[in-house]
Amino acid sequence: MPVAGHVGSDYERLRPEFKVIPNPWAPTQRVLMVPALRCDVALIHALAAAPDGTLCLEPMEDDALLVQASGVVIASAERIMSADEVRASAGVVVEGIHVTAVVELPRGAHPTLVRGHYEVDAAHVAEYQAAAVDDETFRGYLARWVHGPKDHAAYLAEADRL
Amino acid sequence: MSDYTPEEMIATVIAREVRDGETVAVGTLAPVPASGVLLAHFTHAPRARVIIINHPDYWPFRYGSKEFYDFAQRGNIDLFFLSGGQIDRHGNLNLIAVGDARNPRTRLPGGAGAPMLYYQAKRVVLFRTDHSPRIFVDRVDHVTSPGSSPPSVVRPGGPLICVTPLCVFRFDPAARMLVLASVHPGVSREELAQQTGFSLKGNPGAGVTDPPTAAELHLLRTRVREAVARAYPRYAEGAS
Repeated sequence: MPVAGHVGSDYERLRPEFKVIPNPWAPTQRVLMVPALRCDVALIHALAAAPDGTLCLEPMEDDALLVQASGVVIASAERIMSADEVRASAGVVVEGIHVTAVVELPRGAHPTLVRGHYEVDAAHVAEYQAAAVDDETFRGYLARWVHGPKDHAAYLAEADRL
Repeated sequence: MSDYTPEEMIATVIAREVRDGETVAVGTLAPVPASGVLLAHFTHAPRARVIIINHPDYWPFRYGSKEFYDFAQRGNIDLFFLSGGQIDRHGNLNLIAVGDARNPRTRLPGGAGAPMLYYQAKRVVLFRTDHSPRIFVDRVDHVTSPGSSPPSVVRPGGPLICVTPLCVFRFDPAARMLVLASVHPGVSREELAQQTGFSLKGNPGAGVTDPPTAAELHLLRTRVREAVARAYPRYAEGAS
């Protein structure tokens, strides 16, 4: 697909899959073409979801594009409701034909935020950033926060305790 | 000793570049340009269409950042703001990496929309809230987005000025170079030369930047700060 701008940057050297071609409608002009991104699996978090896969997504994010670019889509959601209720919700509505599975997961975006629902947990993000500097400390983070809690409720209870 | 901060000086310089009635957009991690644009909007540019990413009151889109990027690719943005981990004398920006791109000394955040917006926004203000020879280099290690382009490249827009805590550069499209326009009050030419990694010779005529007025500072510290806090709460807490 074409992207405006870009031509003459070092992306042409660093990203050989990016191609510069003559504009078919104005051949003296050069335009950048990039291949479409295709994902095998997308994991996204929705404001609301229905059992048939209908989703309501945060309007500032690009999750609706990610859904259409991915073979398998697993959506966690703040709430499960009927498809008609999801379609009537404020946000970007995606039909269930694109979605493989939905999971009810309140505060599923923690430690990041869902606008209008809950704020970022800045202390937890800082802990993650500090742990991410090397493999050893990051393994410690995974042990404590990913593999340690028995489920999401236990994870949130531990996060809220601090 | 001045009674305003470097960020307030930068925001004031930015405000003076905003024209009434035009479409002005501010990207991510840019509370200082957001402050400058809102200062202009609350004074001489009440009819400007203001877009601030992540701001609940200044985000007129419903379908993610794609809708904004498509809007920008169609050439609808009159004024935008960009920065770089390195910026060179030709207005080239590096947001990729310092050193070898595959084994970098410093990994920079990546270009995101910068390589498109630098061409498609009609005027682009470059900004840094720090000024050192590590940032203002003779030649960037990687060109995320070039300051200028040959005629075969569709490029309606490009750089206008570059504002820092020390000075304002203006981009000369004929020379394809950043030229010193003014030095902020209290900054010596020696300090500026020491902190800039490219030669400033041939820039003799630069004057002194007009500092913020008392009215501008009052607005920046009250109404503008409150509005910026809606998108940047932590920045607004720290600004004093």
